[in-house]
Amino acid sequence: LAAAVLLKDTKLMDVKLGQLGSWLAMRDFTPGGIMGAMRRGYDRYYNKYINVRKGGLGGISMLLAGYMVLSYMWSYSHI
Amino acid sequence: MLSRVVLSAAATAAPCLKNAAALGPGVLQATRAFHTGQPRLAPLPPLPEYGGKVRLGLIPEEFFQFLYPKTGVTGPYVLGTGLSLYFLSKEIYVITPETFSTISVVGLIVYVIKKYGASFGEFIDKLNEEKIAQLEEVKQSSMKQIQDAIDMEKAQQALVQKRHYLFDVQRNNIALALEVTYRERLHKAYKEVKNRLDYHISVQNMMRRKEEEHMIDWVEKHVVKSISVQQEKETIAKCIEDLKLLAKKAQAQP
Repeated sequence: LAAAVLLKDTKLMDVKLGQLGSWLAMRDFTPGGIMGAMRRGYDRYYNKYINVRKGGLGGISMLLAGYMVLSYMWSYSHI
Repeated sequence: MLSRVVLSAAATAAPCLKNAAALGPGVLQATRAFHTGQPRLAPLPPLPEYGGKVRLGLIPEEFFQFLYPKTGVTGPYVLGTGLSLYFLSKEIYVITPETFSTISVVGLIVYVIKKYGASFGEFIDKLNEEKIAQLEEVKQSSMKQIQDAIDMEKAQQALVQKRHYLFDVQRNNIALALEVTYRERLHKAYKEVKNRLDYHISVQNMMRRKEEEHMIDWVEKHVVKSISVQQEKETIAKCIEDLKLLAKKAQAQP
């Protein structure tokens, strides 16, 4: 019998749609938790696209595109 | 060391602490185990060669793989086209003069990257390779140094096993020196004793010689004294007659 994995420990892609609300509520929203989550996200992006031997254009261009979209959204309030 | 002194002093001061003194500093360290965890990231895994693949320079490959089972190859492109038309028609994206400058700038950037991207990338990669090679050399030299130190240490440890040769040689030398000194002193004692004995012998010889000479002189003196004048004249006359006889004989012979 496979041991049942706690909802707390499942990854986002394995969470069923109905459990999404409870899964979100269980996340760690303390300042330390938020900093940890940001740190993990940064580390994942950095180690995948930038900290390589032959990095390509995609690493920084995705960041720039995201910055463009974000600044467009913030500057035009009609959306 | 001071802690041991303190512990022993405390043990003598309060007998109840005697058991505590048995747990000296060495025991405490022996019971705690260090380095029990699994070493992570050791040796360090090498850097990945290429980053995650990105299509059109903007969208990661994982998105295309995510939509492939449901929509096939063209799915994400159709989604992109539909989304952009939706934004344009609903005026979520407003067409302003900025749009045209954006289009020309983006076109220029794409052209420059397509033309010079590869060579620029090679140049940067070469710089990176040089840096990595330098660091690698430092690491290798440090490792070689430490390995040399280990080898020298092992060689010296092996030398320690051969120390007994040195001690044997020294022991032999000392034995030889003792033997030589003993023989020298033996010879000296022999010489001294012989010297003393020779002295006694020579003294005896000298005494005897002196006695002999003295006796001979004494006898001669007395004999000469005993020859009276008359006897001397008679003896000389007899000698002259004997000589005359001998002379006649000698003349008669040839």
